[in-house]
Amino acid sequence: MKSLIENRFGLLVLVLVALGALYGVAYASRPAPVAHTPSKPVRALMESLTTVCPSPGGSRVSVVTPPGAQGKGSATVGEVTRAPAADEDASGADASGGDASGGDAANKDAQKKGAPKKGAADEPTRLEQPGVLWQQDVKAGTAPLVVAGAGSMAAGLEAAQTARLDAGTQRGLASVRCAEPGSDAWFVGPGPAAAAMTLYLTNADSAPANVEVMIYAGEGPVLSDRGSGMVLQPGEHRTVKLSDLAPSPLVMAVEVSTSGGRVAAAIKAVLGKDKGVDWLPAAAPPATQVVVPGIPGMAGLRELYVTAPGEQDTVVQVKAVLKDGSYALKNKETVDVLAGSTSTFDLSTGIGGQPAALVLTSDVPIIAGMKITGTGLSQDVAFAAGASPIDLGSVVADNRVARKQESRLVLSAPFAAATLKLQLVPKRGAAPEPVEVKVPAARTKEIKLAAPPGGESGFSVVLQPQPGSGPVYGGRALVEDTPGGQLVTVQPLAPATIWALVPPTADSPSAVLP
Amino acid sequence: MQSVTAIVVAHDGARWLKETLAAVRRQTRPLDRVVGVDNGSRDGSGQLLAEAFGGANVLTMPRSTGFGEAVHEVLGRLPHDPRADEWVWLLHDDCAPDARALQTLLWAAEHDPGAAILGPKLLDWLDRRVLLEMGVTVSRSGMRDTGLEPREYDQGQHDGEGLLDVLSVSTAGMLIRRDVWEQLSGLDPELPLFRDDLDLCWRARAAGHRVLNVPEAVAWHAEAASRRRRRLAVTDEHPRRLDRRNALLVIMANLPFAALIRSVFRNILGSLLRTVLFLVAKQPANALDEVVALGSLIGRPGRLRRARRRRRQGRKQGYPAVARLLTPSGAAFRRLADMVQSFIAGAGPVDSAGRHHAAAEPGEEDGEELLSDSGLMQRLFTSPGVLLCLALLAVTVAAERSLVYGGLLGGGSLVPITGGASDLWRLYTESHHVTGLGSDTWAPPYVALLALVSTIFLGKTWLAVSVLLLGCVPLAGFSAFAATKKMISYTPARVWLAATYALLPVATGAIASGRLGTAIVFVLLPVYAALATRIVAGSRRAAWGFGLLLAVGTAFVPLLYVLVAILGGLAAVSFAGVRRGVGVALAIGLGTPLVLLFPWLAGLVGDPGRILLESGLHDIALSDARLGAENLLMLSPGGPGTPPVWVTAGLVAVALAALLVRRHQMVVAIGWGVMVFGVLVAIVVGRLTVHGVPAWPGVPLAFAATGLLVAAARPARWIGEFAATGILRRAAAGLILVVAFATPLAAAAMWIKSGAEDPLRRGVRDPMPVLAAVGSAKGQGTLVLRPRDGVVTYSVLRGRAPLIGESDLEPPADATKRFGTAVAGLASGRGGTYAQTLAQYGVQFISVPGPVDASLHRTLDSEPALVRMSLSAGGGLWKLAQPAPAPPPPPGGDSAHRIWLWAQATLLIVVVILASPGARAAEAEERYADAPLEEPRGRRRAGEDRVPV
Repeated sequence: MKSLIENRFGLLVLVLVALGALYGVAYASRPAPVAHTPSKPVRALMESLTTVCPSPGGSRVSVVTPPGAQGKGSATVGEVTRAPAADEDASGADASGGDASGGDAANKDAQKKGAPKKGAADEPTRLEQPGVLWQQDVKAGTAPLVVAGAGSMAAGLEAAQTARLDAGTQRGLASVRCAEPGSDAWFVGPGPAAAAMTLYLTNADSAPANVEVMIYAGEGPVLSDRGSGMVLQPGEHRTVKLSDLAPSPLVMAVEVSTSGGRVAAAIKAVLGKDKGVDWLPAAAPPATQVVVPGIPGMAGLRELYVTAPGEQDTVVQVKAVLKDGSYALKNKETVDVLAGSTSTFDLSTGIGGQPAALVLTSDVPIIAGMKITGTGLSQDVAFAAGASPIDLGSVVADNRVARKQESRLVLSAPFAAATLKLQLVPKRGAAPEPVEVKVPAARTKEIKLAAPPGGESGFSVVLQPQPGSGPVYGGRALVEDTPGGQLVTVQPLAPATIWALVPPTADSPSAVLP
Repeated sequence: MQSVTAIVVAHDGARWLKETLAAVRRQTRPLDRVVGVDNGSRDGSGQLLAEAFGGANVLTMPRSTGFGEAVHEVLGRLPHDPRADEWVWLLHDDCAPDARALQTLLWAAEHDPGAAILGPKLLDWLDRRVLLEMGVTVSRSGMRDTGLEPREYDQGQHDGEGLLDVLSVSTAGMLIRRDVWEQLSGLDPELPLFRDDLDLCWRARAAGHRVLNVPEAVAWHAEAASRRRRRLAVTDEHPRRLDRRNALLVIMANLPFAALIRSVFRNILGSLLRTVLFLVAKQPANALDEVVALGSLIGRPGRLRRARRRRRQGRKQGYPAVARLLTPSGAAFRRLADMVQSFIAGAGPVDSAGRHHAAAEPGEEDGEELLSDSGLMQRLFTSPGVLLCLALLAVTVAAERSLVYGGLLGGGSLVPITGGASDLWRLYTESHHVTGLGSDTWAPPYVALLALVSTIFLGKTWLAVSVLLLGCVPLAGFSAFAATKKMISYTPARVWLAATYALLPVATGAIASGRLGTAIVFVLLPVYAALATRIVAGSRRAAWGFGLLLAVGTAFVPLLYVLVAILGGLAAVSFAGVRRGVGVALAIGLGTPLVLLFPWLAGLVGDPGRILLESGLHDIALSDARLGAENLLMLSPGGPGTPPVWVTAGLVAVALAALLVRRHQMVVAIGWGVMVFGVLVAIVVGRLTVHGVPAWPGVPLAFAATGLLVAAARPARWIGEFAATGILRRAAAGLILVVAFATPLAAAAMWIKSGAEDPLRRGVRDPMPVLAAVGSAKGQGTLVLRPRDGVVTYSVLRGRAPLIGESDLEPPADATKRFGTAVAGLASGRGGTYAQTLAQYGVQFISVPGPVDASLHRTLDSEPALVRMSLSAGGGLWKLAQPAPAPPPPPGGDSAHRIWLWAQATLLIVVVILASPGARAAEAEERYADAPLEEPRGRRRAGEDRVPV
């Protein structure tokens, strides 16, 4: 030992040995690389949900909650009512900045104002059993219906209104999904010069809603202050003729947004006698890739609407997803859209007669929709629009199969194959076992629905993609052959509100840092 | 025709009396009458007087008689001489006038007929060239002011035009007209000692007479009473206390009323301040005297009232004549500045100006000032340490170019720095924190330290943090350079060491990830090393300082204490037996942080994982869980801001080479030992994960680097000798130099190239939206949601951005769980009453900083209980529709916390006093000393300039 220390190299050797040992320890203790798995959100059943049927008068309203939810819960269906005065005052005080002047101007535009019925409204209907379809024909002149679910009745609560008229200017099938109130809604369809377009606004909340309407016509955005500054008090509903805001557009996209509060918006298009009638479905918000699904395989005109609400012109690539594959249509590969404007594009010769979905890709965010015209002397129209994938499932409340009526489900898996569970929920009786539906990648599949036992007068459809499926888009078409011509309406499949994704949370002071 | 009566009052002054009497007898102007008074001397002074003046001319008084009383007694018995202009010359037994003193004084009296009191220039008895006083004035706070520097030599520099108009002269050698004496009723018998002269002269001045100092008349004065060369019989009180009390009494008795009121306040405040300063200077006796003097004056208002009544006549009219001779007010500040300066210089804040024994202060080494002939600037800019710091500063500014100026500083471990020192003090002292979900935990001690530093930086926390964190590199360079002064004598080696240390990967990593704690510890580490060497030598004061600084570092990085404690234990084993006192010093050094940080450390022991974390935010991205073995050996702690591994290779290579040097092998071995120890701890720490966050081995690696640097730098002097021994060896030495300097240069270059920012950055957005800050009432909260990697992180702000340190408070567990569920429910959009749950916690606003996640934005928009206030690229803000009242704070305070805070403050003050340099040695000199020869100074001077008797 002593000789080691006294040697000139002794210390060096000791240190080198120690360093080697340290290196070994550090090397051996180095943990294996851990693949960073981002924490996934947890699915949880919805706890409460509110939807608003914009104009149920003369329509059949269908409300359903898919079977399976446990526990207590109830849903109420009732006319929208003004909140009690005390609440109104409180919420009025909370509202950020009232703009009385703008509100007055907007009031003049209003065609008819919802007559507030304080306490005089009919007792709301109370539903307590999930898995049973509730339908009712609502008498004309009824105010918007608020469908509010809580507990087990909230998980997947879905409502729709469907009107069918044989004659008159409103001849046709017209259905719309009852929408959840929100702060932003997009619609795309014909303009007031081509059809009578009516915007239905309902504020079912306890806070006033400050609504702005923006119109993107074929020539560009319509700059008008008439569409802004509408204030809807809690419980108020209102219809607005879009021709008052922009009389000239032939095609248009409408953005209904609120700068405060929430509003349920819907637009009804009446094209005129023997030209058809329908509601515009809410379109997916602007995105660089939009899928317009649910185009039924029947003859008739197909007109695509594309809007680029941004400040940049764009060229939109159009691809059709059909029964036998997905490809660009010949000579119709692209659509040019000017900044802030809406373009139309006739695709009748490309996809007419085939069930289809369209995949639109662009550099800038766009929204898209489609007009589907039925055949016959007296025509009826239906509208499809860009939709979100139904990763969490989808519910369609109102389906009918009768002698002349049929319901078709058009499912598309534009990117990857998908397997879905399809369950029918009849109006009466137990729901049959779900069946499995496979959609190959880049294909569209059309399913003609057969009424389950007890569902002769109506049934609902619950779709549930199975794990491993690619994104699925779809729509439900209701078609009726009449002597005068086909009646048709389309409802794009909306993501079901059965589940909500509860994200993992962390109480972290670092949330204050970017 | 003038008649002069000399009165010599003696009291145990035989030592000086012989010389005094001889001087009186030798006057060129013969005295008309001489009277001696013996105040009960026991050393034969009376006999000396009788021998000199004759028994009839000597009066014997009791031992307790004061000077004034004795003179009164003499003059009462002395018959008047109606024909002559009568003068009285007062002399102490320890005051020997020059032979021509009386003649000159009388000449001056004739020259200026208004003069009623005249005094000679007083020089020191022993060192006969040293000026004691040429007239004395006083400040309004009663501080005696001679207008002279301590130990000033008389070269005629103050003599002026011949006669000096002064406020007062000493009774030693005072020539006063007898009628004036009688008009003023002489010296006040209430002041038996000290300041009686000032009082008399003040009254004479106020009555319209003139008081003159005659520089050409000289007397040598021993100041035996005030320098405690003899025991005082007239009073039992300590002379210093008596002096102070009399000073206050004279001031307060003679000031007119308006000035008196001001003076009372000034003196009370001044006395308290001086008491504190004396305490800091470790002179508790002085402090006690100061307090007691003030107390005895205030405590007996009757005496002051009597004294004022006696002086009522002409006080106000005569005051202007006095006021212009008082020390101007600005002098107090100058004096304070002098004290601070001397304290910094290590002398302790001893107020010496104007003291009676000022001349007796031990002299500094006189030669030192002579060396500093070059200007201050020149000295600064040629010092290698300063040049090094400037170079490091330049490197730092270049690397931190985007961090130096701009908006809020934050990122990484650092919350955006908002608030000021007062906010931090409040955070530290309050027992319930209205932050986040509310917390009852005691704030961590580093908050108090940051508050203290912020207070020094004029309350600007951002400035303090910027300097400490961003300036960490130059500060560390400076501390490393300064701390190695005693360890390494070879300056180039110190420069290399300091530069290499300052630019270690630990420093750049700490800056980039905003680790304020590591930055501070990094600066302190060389100081620890320097103090540790003094502890090993057994220094108690260094141990207190070490303990204090260790407490500072531990408060930020608790792991530091563990490292130091292990090394300290090893040191105790190896050194405690070698030198006495090392064990105690080590115990002080290691025990002080335990005591100062006690409750917080106890909490840490309950959750030992937190020992590995440091102050600030803990983010998984700030450290590398899979740190490579080569990184650890190359002292790179991983994480953001660390340079490539090879940068420090030169340092390790040089340190390995140092192992081959045979000299200093002990130091090299210890250095390598510390290195191996530090790396071992770093490996252990780096492999541990605490609360999901891998620990960062910065501080252990800084330890290792310190050891390595000392090992490499200590034998560096040898390189010169090595190079001189041959061409081959010269080449080898050159190679070693290149390798050694490659490390700091490469580190600086890499740092500048990559920049110091990210994740730390300037211009962080204030997390509290203005709209919410304006709109929320006191205590209402704003929930900040920030989705990050699929996880929604959230934090509740109460009306302002979080303070630094608030992130370490722990909210109650049940509230955290319930609130977390509510946030998750809200962010999922599943409906329900989650917003109401948030409202129960007082959350009124929900803020999502931009860019706002589209789905989260939709979810919040579709929540009926929320109303959107704004949405833009910068972020979105939602408000709860229902008002959310702030949760009431829990009733009652935490008395244990309050008690601990007071205890901690007291302990801190005690430790600071024990650690700071003070004037303990000066106390020894103030002991009573009977013989001047016993005094060391006296011994030294004894043979030099003794004026022959």
